[in-house]
Order: sequence, then structure tokens, then C-alpha cells
Amino acid sequence: MGADGAPSQSVPWRKVLWERQPFPDNYVDQRFLEELRRNEGIRQYRYWAVVKEAGFVGQQLSCVAVFITLWLYMEQGLLAPEVLLWTSLSCAMLGYGLHQALTSQAESGCETRTHLADLQSAALFLSFTFGFSPVLKTLTESVSTDTVYAMSAVMLLAHLVSFPYGKPSPPGSLSLNAALFASVCLASRLPGALHTFAMLTCALLVFALWPCLLQRLRENAPCQFTGVCVGVCVGGVGGLASQSLGGAVLFSLALVSVTLLCPLLLIWLQRHKDNIQGPWDEAEIHEDLSNFLH
Amino acid sequence: MVLKIFFPQCCNRADSGLLVGRWVSGHDSAVVLAVIHYPFIPGQVKQYIQQLQAQSGVELSVLGSWSLPKEGQEGLESFIRDLSTIFPQEPWLQISRQVGKTGFTCEVLGRDQIGKAAQQEEEEDEEKVIFVHYEQMKVMLSQLHPIESQNPDNRSEPPSELRQMFQTVARSELLFFLDRYDDGPLKSTHWQSEGREASIIVELLKRASVPLCVFISWLLSVWTWFCNIRIFSVFPLSFLSSKLSTCVQLNYRTEHLRTLSSPRAAEGHMEFMRKANILVSVLVDVALGVLLMSWLYRDENISTLAHTLVPAADHVARQLEELLQWLMGAPAGLKMNRALDQVLGRFFLYHIHLWISYIHLMAPFIEGILWYGGLSACLGLTFALSLLSDMVALFTFHIYCFYVYGARLYCLKIYGLSSLWRLFRGKKWNVLRQRVDSCSYDLDQLFIGTLLFTVLLFLLPTTALYYLVFTLLRLVVVLFQGVLHLIVDFINSFPLFSVGLWVCRSYRLAEGVKFRVLCDEPGTALHLLMEMNPLRFGSVLQTYRTATYSCYPKDSWGALVRKLFIGELVFPWRHKTTKTD
Repeated sequence: MGADGAPSQSVPWRKVLWERQPFPDNYVDQRFLEELRRNEGIRQYRYWAVVKEAGFVGQQLSCVAVFITLWLYMEQGLLAPEVLLWTSLSCAMLGYGLHQALTSQAESGCETRTHLADLQSAALFLSFTFGFSPVLKTLTESVSTDTVYAMSAVMLLAHLVSFPYGKPSPPGSLSLNAALFASVCLASRLPGALHTFAMLTCALLVFALWPCLLQRLRENAPCQFTGVCVGVCVGGVGGLASQSLGGAVLFSLALVSVTLLCPLLLIWLQRHKDNIQGPWDEAEIHEDLSNFLH
Repeated sequence: MVLKIFFPQCCNRADSGLLVGRWVSGHDSAVVLAVIHYPFIPGQVKQYIQQLQAQSGVELSVLGSWSLPKEGQEGLESFIRDLSTIFPQEPWLQISRQVGKTGFTCEVLGRDQIGKAAQQEEEEDEEKVIFVHYEQMKVMLSQLHPIESQNPDNRSEPPSELRQMFQTVARSELLFFLDRYDDGPLKSTHWQSEGREASIIVELLKRASVPLCVFISWLLSVWTWFCNIRIFSVFPLSFLSSKLSTCVQLNYRTEHLRTLSSPRAAEGHMEFMRKANILVSVLVDVALGVLLMSWLYRDENISTLAHTLVPAADHVARQLEELLQWLMGAPAGLKMNRALDQVLGRFFLYHIHLWISYIHLMAPFIEGILWYGGLSACLGLTFALSLLSDMVALFTFHIYCFYVYGARLYCLKIYGLSSLWRLFRGKKWNVLRQRVDSCSYDLDQLFIGTLLFTVLLFLLPTTALYYLVFTLLRLVVVLFQGVLHLIVDFINSFPLFSVGLWVCRSYRLAEGVKFRVLCDEPGTALHLLMEMNPLRFGSVLQTYRTATYSCYPKDSWGALVRKLFIGELVFPWRHKTTKTD
């Protein structure tokens, strides 16, 4: 093989730069591209494993749906704020207990937070929210309802998009802040200051503390984790169904497409994957500190 | 080689004699200053010239001879030629003129050519001579611009030919004292021979100015001693006196009067012009002030003014109250937070109520204050205007307070919002590197930060609106004060004397010269007339403007808008400290 019709000489062509050879500059021989490697690091996805991972995304969607359901109930006056408050607090206690139980099974000495620090944080949250709830209630008084709904929707979408699905335990700033902003907007629409306080406590529980528990579950009890995800999804669909059937249908469609359809799409598109690697790639430096440790 | 001879016009018809003047070094030109007539004794001439040279510092010498032959003086020609031996001078000029003809003839004799015939020079190029006629009085009084510094060590290159010529004529004033009508040993012709100018009024003023200056400087020293009493340098008083424009103007005028009343005469053109400008400015100021006073104290104008002042203040307060009521409602359909709105509105309404009570308390005294304040106009219109500006500042003090409150609140809010917005995105301001870095916050920090961010964001329109309204009010007041200060500054700094000089005697401020051809016949030398090119009006203003503490905008437009947006307090006018020459 040669380029520009160069005659094959008795002297073989060598791939060097410093030697003047009788071949033209763009000459290649039959060993061209023999070091090309295709799709080297490709992973083989298995459908059900991907579905299981995608279940986490569906779970988060359902959390948002559950939150919106609770808000709808509060706004229509079907749910008293005290009920919600006590339920949230008791759920928080249960969740905390579960969290501690799961932690003591795994590493016990690595956590530096004591029970006192947790209690302090909880007290801070509650007092701050309680103190600010009258102010928060009047925040969106003069803003029109449509604007409030639009803002909340955008913020919840931002929360879902920026959620750290890989490692939810230290909560991502943008996702948590967006969720809290949306919850403040929605909570300020409720009739009383106590409603606002209850809503905010519930939001804190659902968006800030629940992912920490989920992370523990995923690490230490994977089978139960899947069960919990499925349970939350069902709860979300059911809650929405009790309010509006059309919404529930749409929501379940969304769930199905995220959990079942998208993995299918991902696996089906793997066949079009075409990565090439070769000696022309940038060098990756693998740090080997073993020389220095001895 | 071209030889330029500057010849005064007054000597065009002078009797024959010796030419006295100066060779301008390095430029091949000579300046003729005067003609000394016969009879004279050469020794006396030399002595006289040396005496003048010592006194005036100009390198005078005898340049040559001048002959305008009249009847009965034919024998003078040979006498003149012999003179060149008596006064040994490097080139010796022999200028002669025939009555009735316009051109001069000039022969230049070098030292080695004295006595030789002139036709030996015909092989070489004949030296061309150009006569430049100038009006001596005008050149003596005129000043060439741009003015060079007085210190000869600072000059990097030697002055130009024109400048040297002007300086020569200006410094040779002593030469012009003796003229041909005196009974001294020498009779000379120069511009003073036409008739010396003097004025009795000017002489009287000059005599009277000395004791007047002494008196004024004594008054000023008493005043300065009074101002420097220790009690006035206590903090609140010194701060107030630096802010009140009346005090600043007082200090400024004191400086001026001190300059005026210094006993020594002005050396140099710039100092003279400065003193003259200051004097004229003070006189015009006082005249305008007296005019104002005569209008003010006539026909009960003061009481009319006082009686309209209190209702005007009431009216302003009522308008402000209405404005606040409008803001407390739903102004222009904006989304105001009702609770905060009510708080801020009530707070400001209370302030207005306080201020109105204060005005009503002062109402009986206003007429007296105005009467005594109007007396300050006798010191000058600038003082009256400064007093007015200060009174406006005092009466609108509440607007200033409102502006400061609103601006501080707004600034705090903007600062908090920007910091919490960074927290919202999970970033932090790195003070060391002066940039925004990512940061992992704790849960409680995130929670409280988001709550505060929401609260601040929704309260922003309310605060911003109050801030906007009060900033606009404050800017209106500042603008009015700025206009007053501009007028004061204009009266302080406008060089009226220089402008008057430019109008009446424009030759005294010359930017350059222009030449007109008088006689250009072949065979005779070229005759040019040199006339002054007066300075342009803009250059007059720029050169002679009195330095003042003028107020000018501290920030450019972009920086001002940025400061208003962030909520930083703006003080748009800055006082420049007086430059000392």
C-alpha cells in the first residue's frame, strides 16, 4: 500500500522522522492503524441492573409527587397542620433510629457527629423555621398565583435535574436549595403561619433527611432499598390519584418511561457506540506513590 | 546667509547717528533699540552703554551707524565711516536712507573688511539683509505665549529668536528714559520720543496703594489669628467648617486678599496678571453683592421672602407625605410586601412630622436670619450664594437622612443577596484569591441560607422602590447645590482682567507674529512689517484662569450609575484643593 503511486522500493519504509527516505511524506505502509483499538472500555449493561439504578430516579420523582400531594391536602384544608407536624416529627425520630442502627452495623468510629450535635441542629432548624414562619407567610402575598406555581415548578425541576443520584448523602447545594425555595414559595400560599411551619418541616424531612437514610440503606441493605423505592413510587402514584386522576396517569407514564423505557433505550443505543483509542491519545498519568511510601 | 535686522518704526525718520542694540547670538540677527544722535563723545557713549548693560542685564552694544542725510550734512558720510574704527564691533552695519525713498540700503562690514572696498566681495554670495520693522511700544509691552518658566536653569533649549528679541526690548526699559529732548550728554530716539505717556490717576493710585496694602495685611493677620484660636480646631467645628461652603469661600478669599496685599511688586508677567485678575474679580464680586443687597433691602423684600418660606416648606412636606402614602399603597402596580411597606412608610412619616414641627418652631426667627444673612452679600455675591447653598443643605437635611437610611438598607440587602446567591449555587467568595470558588456547605448552613435568600429576594422590590425615590430626591437637591457652586466658581475663576486686556489691548497677549511685506524691490533689501498675532480667546481663559477649589464630578457616569445600583452612598461633587503655584 502506498500513496501517490510511489514505487515499492527494496529498502523498507521505517516510521521515523529523522531519516531521509525515498518515500513521499504522506506514505503509509500496510501496518497503518494496526494499533487502533475500538470500544475498549465499553461496559455491557444488563437490563435489570440498569432498571434498578433508574428506580432511584423514579423514587426521587415520587418524593416530589408525595410532597405536592401533601401540600394540596393542606391547601384544601383536608389535612390539619398539627397532624402533619406530629407525623413528620415521629417519622423523623423513626428515621433517625434506623439511620443509627444501620450505621452501627458498618463503621462505628468514623462518624464524628454525636447525638448532641444532631439535637442541636434539629433545635436550630425548628426554632429558626418557627421564628420566620410569619415572615415567610406574607412573602408571596402580592405575587400572583400563576407566578408562584411557575416558580415552584421550575425550582422542583432544577432540583430533580441537579440531584446527586450517585451519592446523595452530602446533599448537593443547588438541588437542596432549589427544593427549599420551591417549598417556601408553596408554603407561603397556605392559610396560616402554623401551616407554613408544618410544610417547611415536612419539606426538610423529605428533601434533606430522607436521601441520607436512603444512602445508608443502599450501602447496607440493597434488597430492602429496592423495596423502599418501589413503595415510594406506589405511594406517589396513589397520592396523586386521590387528588386528580389525570395527574396520576401522567405521573405513572413518566415513571414508566424513566424506569423502564430509558434503560431500554440506553442498551439499544450501545450498538452505535464507536470509541477509538490509540497511541495518539493524551497520556494519562497513573500516580504510583508506592515508591514514596516505603 | 541672511541677516535679519529688527528696526523700530519710530526710528524711521531719526536723524543720523549711531545704532544701539543687541546682536542675537546664534541666529544672525540684530535688534536695533535706539539711535544716538550727534554730537556725542564716543567715550561717553561707551560708558553709557556699559552702565546700561550692568543695570539691565541686556548685552547692549553699538551695532553700526544710521544716516539720513539732510541738507547741510554731506560731510557726515565720511565721518560715519570712520566711526567703525572707534567702535570695534564684529560686523558693523551701515544703514542709510534717502529722504523720499522707501527702501534702506545696508552694508555689512566685517572686522577684517574695514577699509577695504566692497567690490572684493562680489565673487562670494552677497549677504542678504532683511529689515523687519516693529512697533517698539507694542513689542515692549507684549508677552509671548506660551509663557516660559522664569528659572533659566530649567530651560532645556535656548529660547527662540523671536523670544530673545521680545525679551531684549522688554528688558531695555532703562534705555528709554533719556530721549532727545532731555538736556543730558546724549540724545537718543526711541518710542518714548514721540511723547511719554503718563496718567495722574495711575500715579496717585500707585502712591496710595502702599498704605492700603499695609492696612489690609494688618486686618488679615488679625482675622487669621482669630481663625486659628484653638477652640475652632475641636473636631465638630473643624469638620463643619470644611463642609460649609461659606467657610470655604471665606478661606479662599482670605488667601486672595493676602496675595493682593503683599507689599512687594509683582515680578513677572504671570504674577502681575494673577494679581490683576484677583483684584478685578473681588471688585466685581462686591459690586454684584451690593446690587443684590440694594434689591433685597428695598420694598420689604425680606419680609415677603420670609413669609413665603414657611408655607413653601409646609408644601414640600405635604408633597412628601403624599408620596409616602402612595408608596405604602400599591405604587405603579408593583408587588410590595405589605408589612415591610407599612413599617418603612410609618418610619419616614414620623421623620417628616418631626421636621415640620422644627420648621414651625423656627418660623418667627426666619426673618431675622434672612436680614442678617443678607448683610453677608456686602462681602460679595459669592458669599451670598454660598450662604444660600448652605441654607438649602440645612433645610433639606431630612431628605439627606432619608437617602442615607434607604441607601444603607438597600446596600445591605444587595450584599446579602449576592452572598446568598453564591450559597444557593454551592459557591463561595475566596477572599484570598479574590474569586468565586466551590464550597461544600453543611446542611444547617444550606437550610438557613436558603430561607434567608428567599426572604431577601421577595423583600427586594419594596426596599428598591424606597431607595429609588429617596435617591432621586437627593439628586435633585444635589443638582441645585451644584448649580449654585458652579456660579460661585465662575465668578471666582473667570479672568476678567485678562479678557478685558484681550479686548482692548490685544497686542499685549501675543501668540506669535505675522509679517507683511512693505517693500520688495529688486536691488534693495526686503522690508517686512512685524505685527502681533493676538492670543485666541480659549487660550486666554486657559492660561489665566485663577485656580479655585472648584467642584467637579468625582465619578464618571459609569461609575456613578454602578454606585447607585449597588447602593453605595454617592457624594457627587468633590472639592479640589487650591493649587499653589
